[in-house]
Amino acid sequence: MTPNRKTCLVLALLTLTFVALAYAFVLTPARQGFIVLSPLVPKDVLAIVPGTIRVSAAQLVKSGGDVSGLDCYACHHQDSPPEVKYDANHEIVLPKEHADLIISMRNCVECHPPNDPVKLEYDDSGNVKMPKAHEGLLAMGHGRSTRNNNNYCFNCHDRDQLNQLHTPDGDKLKFDQATQLCAGCHGTTYRDWMAGAHGRTSGHWDRTAGPFERQECTSCHDPHAPRFTGLIPMPGPHLLHPVPARKPQPESSDE
Amino acid sequence: MSRRSFLRSTALLSAGVAAVAAGLAPLRKLGEFGSVDEFLQKYYKELTPEEMKAVIARIEAEVERQYGIRPHVRDYKPMNGVEFVYALNLTRCVGCRKCVHSCVAENNQSRNPEIQYIRVLKMPNDGTFDVDKGDHNYAPKSVPEPGFFYMPVQCQQCKNPPCVKVCPVKATWQEPDGITVIDYNWCIGCRYCEAACPYFARRFNFTTPSIPKEQINTNMSYLGNRPRYKGVMEKCHFCTQRTRAGRYPACVEVCPTGSRKFGNILDPESEVSYILKTKRVYVLKPELGTLPRFFYYFDI
Repeated sequence: MTPNRKTCLVLALLTLTFVALAYAFVLTPARQGFIVLSPLVPKDVLAIVPGTIRVSAAQLVKSGGDVSGLDCYACHHQDSPPEVKYDANHEIVLPKEHADLIISMRNCVECHPPNDPVKLEYDDSGNVKMPKAHEGLLAMGHGRSTRNNNNYCFNCHDRDQLNQLHTPDGDKLKFDQATQLCAGCHGTTYRDWMAGAHGRTSGHWDRTAGPFERQECTSCHDPHAPRFTGLIPMPGPHLLHPVPARKPQPESSDE
Repeated sequence: MSRRSFLRSTALLSAGVAAVAAGLAPLRKLGEFGSVDEFLQKYYKELTPEEMKAVIARIEAEVERQYGIRPHVRDYKPMNGVEFVYALNLTRCVGCRKCVHSCVAENNQSRNPEIQYIRVLKMPNDGTFDVDKGDHNYAPKSVPEPGFFYMPVQCQQCKNPPCVKVCPVKATWQEPDGITVIDYNWCIGCRYCEAACPYFARRFNFTTPSIPKEQINTNMSYLGNRPRYKGVMEKCHFCTQRTRAGRYPACVEVCPTGSRKFGNILDPESEVSYILKTKRVYVLKPELGTLPRFFYYFDI
């Protein structure tokens, strides 16, 4: 056997190259930045944005939220303060009868003591003049048409006791019974709500398996301005490539 | 054989063996991807309860090794007398995409690249209902924008699903409660179902899903939200780990406007029965004959 020197040399070179390439392949770490990293969406942004969705006191306490802004005097009169109980963590323990209470930073009774009827002032066209003290407290916007709006306090509030409601029939209602008052005008929506087709639902679709929670009207809608304000949209689809340019829309409303 | 040729051939041989060993070195990492048990696992519908128990224990150990957290995997079975139907109110949807991200969090989807089951289409309010005019990638400061409505699209859980028909290995099928599921251990990743779906509801795992440990949802179901493998398909499964335990899906609970409704269509008292009886509903692409269980409706 006479080994062909040339063949041996080529084979040795090829082997060496292969070894070097394999070595380099093993040592090289996976290339970073090949896939575009996008920031993770934190879980807590899924929580409802306050200001757009109202939270009842019971929900707030249950979810471990901040109860420091809770103002008992929003309903209770300052001359007869309620007895406040604290738990071991110095947080307010809410009484059971407040389970359905809607947290409100507005305190009707503080300025309008009970049994002291409010005198309304009208402008030339017959609309109620908004008092200056209400600025920044109450944004009125119930009803969109100017002819048929519902911007009158005493359509819903009781004239003598502002922290009570009254129906057109004269029945007095507590704040937590507001849904019945809303139903008086919004009958079709109330019908949908009763069937579970309007509003947020959570818990169990299978009523035998566990509790089912339905929100009251005022949990989501501010009764003074029931229309929802805008929400900030969450990030869209995760793209590896930039969004292709689109034809300009006829009605662009981006600010 | 001369001494010279012996030395030369020995050197060449050892270099060759070393080269082959070095070239095969990446295969050592294959141990992370699968075990013999996983390779030999039987078809889902042929597993006995004891075998299923062993499979679940193996999957729990796999997930713990990969993500450092012990999950609770269960094989949720469809309930008797239940057929799930979804209804979505187009009058109310504002396009905030909270459903998209609650779905990602609930169902352990890959975060990078992020896999989303729900796509929200921003559609011009011109009365055409043309999906081609929809925009996935809108990002204004505030939604809803005037002149548009928003139509979230996800798996429509068809009664006549094209994706199931095309699967060559029967790794996806329709369950008696109407949910089309995938066995991630049986899927071969051919992506035929992705091509067959007219609603763009199926997603493919191009890479091993990456999920931060603290964001793992440990309540997992075998046919649902357990972490997927590289190279398998996945899709919306109506949160089987929640709905088969009687709860609402994550997207229903998070919707701030209450646009999303879910329930048992066989129960005449359920909200979806009420909606189908009293509202004007329509389905996406009815001409295809897929018979979706996902209905869009209007309030007025």
